[in-house]
Amino acid sequence: MKIKDLIKQDAGFQHIIDNMEFMSSAGRRKMLGTEFCTHASQLQEEWDRLGIAIETVKKYKYKRPYIELRHALMQLHDLQGTLANLASHTTLNEVELFEIKNLAQLTQIAASAIDGLGLGEILPLPDTKEVFNLLDPDHTGITNFYIYDSYDIRLTPLRRELNALQTSDGDPVRISELLAQQNEIQNDVCARLSDQLTRWTDLLTTALEQLAYADLLLAKAELALQWELSRPNIGDHIEYTELVNPRLKEHNEKQHLRYQPVDVALYPGICIITGANMAGKTVLLKSVGTAQIMAQCGMFVPASKATVKVVEGIVTSIGDEQDEMNGLSSYAAEIIKISNIINTCRNHEMLVLIDEPARTTNPVEGKALVQAIIKILNSMNSTTLVTTHYSGLSGACRRLRVKGFVEGMADIPLTPQSINRFIDYSLTEDTNDDVPHEALRIAAILGCDKEMITLAKEYINQ
Amino acid sequence: MDAHVGVTSIGVDGEQVDSVFATAKPEVILYEGTHFITSEQHYLKRQTVSVLEAVDSRRTALGPLVTARVLVRGKALLSGAATTGILRQHIEQLGSMGVDIAIVDGALSRLSLASPTVTDAMILATGAAVSANIKQLVSKTKFLYNLILLDEVSPDLRERLSNISTGLWAVDSEGEPHDLGIASVFLIDRAEKDILRFGKTLFASGAVSDRLLRVLATKGKDIILITRDFTKLFITPEAYTEFTRRGGKLMVLQRSRLIAVTLNPTSPQGFLLDSKSTCDALSEALQTPVYDVKKIVQ
Repeated sequence: MKIKDLIKQDAGFQHIIDNMEFMSSAGRRKMLGTEFCTHASQLQEEWDRLGIAIETVKKYKYKRPYIELRHALMQLHDLQGTLANLASHTTLNEVELFEIKNLAQLTQIAASAIDGLGLGEILPLPDTKEVFNLLDPDHTGITNFYIYDSYDIRLTPLRRELNALQTSDGDPVRISELLAQQNEIQNDVCARLSDQLTRWTDLLTTALEQLAYADLLLAKAELALQWELSRPNIGDHIEYTELVNPRLKEHNEKQHLRYQPVDVALYPGICIITGANMAGKTVLLKSVGTAQIMAQCGMFVPASKATVKVVEGIVTSIGDEQDEMNGLSSYAAEIIKISNIINTCRNHEMLVLIDEPARTTNPVEGKALVQAIIKILNSMNSTTLVTTHYSGLSGACRRLRVKGFVEGMADIPLTPQSINRFIDYSLTEDTNDDVPHEALRIAAILGCDKEMITLAKEYINQ
Repeated sequence: MDAHVGVTSIGVDGEQVDSVFATAKPEVILYEGTHFITSEQHYLKRQTVSVLEAVDSRRTALGPLVTARVLVRGKALLSGAATTGILRQHIEQLGSMGVDIAIVDGALSRLSLASPTVTDAMILATGAAVSANIKQLVSKTKFLYNLILLDEVSPDLRERLSNISTGLWAVDSEGEPHDLGIASVFLIDRAEKDILRFGKTLFASGAVSDRLLRVLATKGKDIILITRDFTKLFITPEAYTEFTRRGGKLMVLQRSRLIAVTLNPTSPQGFLLDSKSTCDALSEALQTPVYDVKKIVQ
């Protein structure tokens, strides 16, 4: 699975890509084409390269070779179309030849900057000198391009005559003739050059892809520094210290709201998370998902310390899955999705994130379904995180509770606007299978209808 | 003249026949040393010898835009940036290639490139394409000419207003701007508070429409409405007259430098106006010389 498919599932990951600063469209393409990597050794190698890149960026950020490399990448055009033409023996036109010459020169400039940064080993670039020389017959050393006189001996006299006629408003018929002849010769030269370039198709493709990769690696490194991301260790379980949801953190900072990172550890099997409304259960689910994608796409993760288990994929059921277009109710869409998740997990080790399953149906059957889901997923090797409001769920499994609302936590009046400051988002192991009952209390703080709340309390007491 | 010239267009120029009316059009001849920007497709059809110096990474329907320098004089088709943002980058790029004067060919009723934030100076090219009726041609041209020459605000006020990017603002007697909380001038009808509470000077950061002028005319007399530059005015002579009759006055943060007014007596439909009498009528109305482009000596 590629990143461009994963971002459709996870809006949080889209936010991360939006915050990466690519110098070229080729770099962005490389990012979107990154595979969700399921090989631990490949991930380690990519993290090694990223680690080296981060140290390099720190050291050279405003220094010459780094600025030169970024500048070269900024001028990189994504020439996939031109290279495909070259591979299929199509004659390239002057503009395409200019682009090839430009790529050849950028590769040389980037290679020398990469050497200056000491990154030659992790970002090797092919030698494009011969390509450049072919397209620079007069040895000008610059990327300007046209069908130089030296490509064909007929061009010099032809152009001399053309120039004389044009500057003296000479015979238009002769001018047309000369222009037609020139075009023919130029086409011949283009065909000859394209033919000669064909043997360097692979070399030029490698150059383009390596430059795109250099852009991607630097973008990852810059992001890791800016967001203080950490390199994960690979283990048999998932564990984060101070896990952050980058999108929510940014949102809260903009609104001058507090953001609290969370510590969490997950093992194969199931873990149930309970907690009051507004306690951040769904956010936790999304944060775990986003961090897993980041890690397995060769990035560092938003936590101060991290261990990840390499999984085969991520499956989620988060949010309102109602799909009116398919004529499915929210319950139907959700339960089909969960059923598919269970099927997937029978053959694959996944990370499973399910937010409040069966919340839209009646509590009797809903609770029974949740118990069934828990029992099945707990026996599998996938790592599953489920949030729920149902209490009294039987079956042995790990339970975590968001500490939630703490009276007197902040020294300010309690209002709907300040309620965020009174919630402790950290997790605690829960032995009690009863879920916290704070829905009415929170409704009261939010200033909801008093009669509604009083009546609800009376019904509870009955 | 030794100035190094660069040319581009915001439409398509240099084709032999008008693509709308199928009438003959003048072709563009480029001289040795001139830089020009055009699209890949048009570049490959050029009838000149030239060196490619840059290729844009953005693609248009006619391929990427390319910049080249002419080695041997000849004809070429020009097609350039579709937006003023890209146009500005191209002008900058030409400058970095040693071009002293970048000439941008405009298009009928696309004034945005004449904004002083894009180009340093403008030539107002009017002609039979605007109207076949000399009287109408003169009055339409004079209206636009007057907008181009609107008074500028003081440098101090310009400084204070130029960074405001949205909405309608009031300027008090101290020259201090106040946000009127109207996100768009199109929402002016919904303003709850008196928009003249800070005084009668207002600043519209975006486009000015007839509707805004008409609403202002009902709010009070002697209102001064400041706009960024004349290209932000999308108004008709009727609404403008209504506004000025109530003592209203339009001003701009920055005035475009108008260096000439020209006339093309031939319309795209093919008919011809009498050059002398049209030029005379325009010069008389504008109180400035008007040149027939077809008679300007090469």
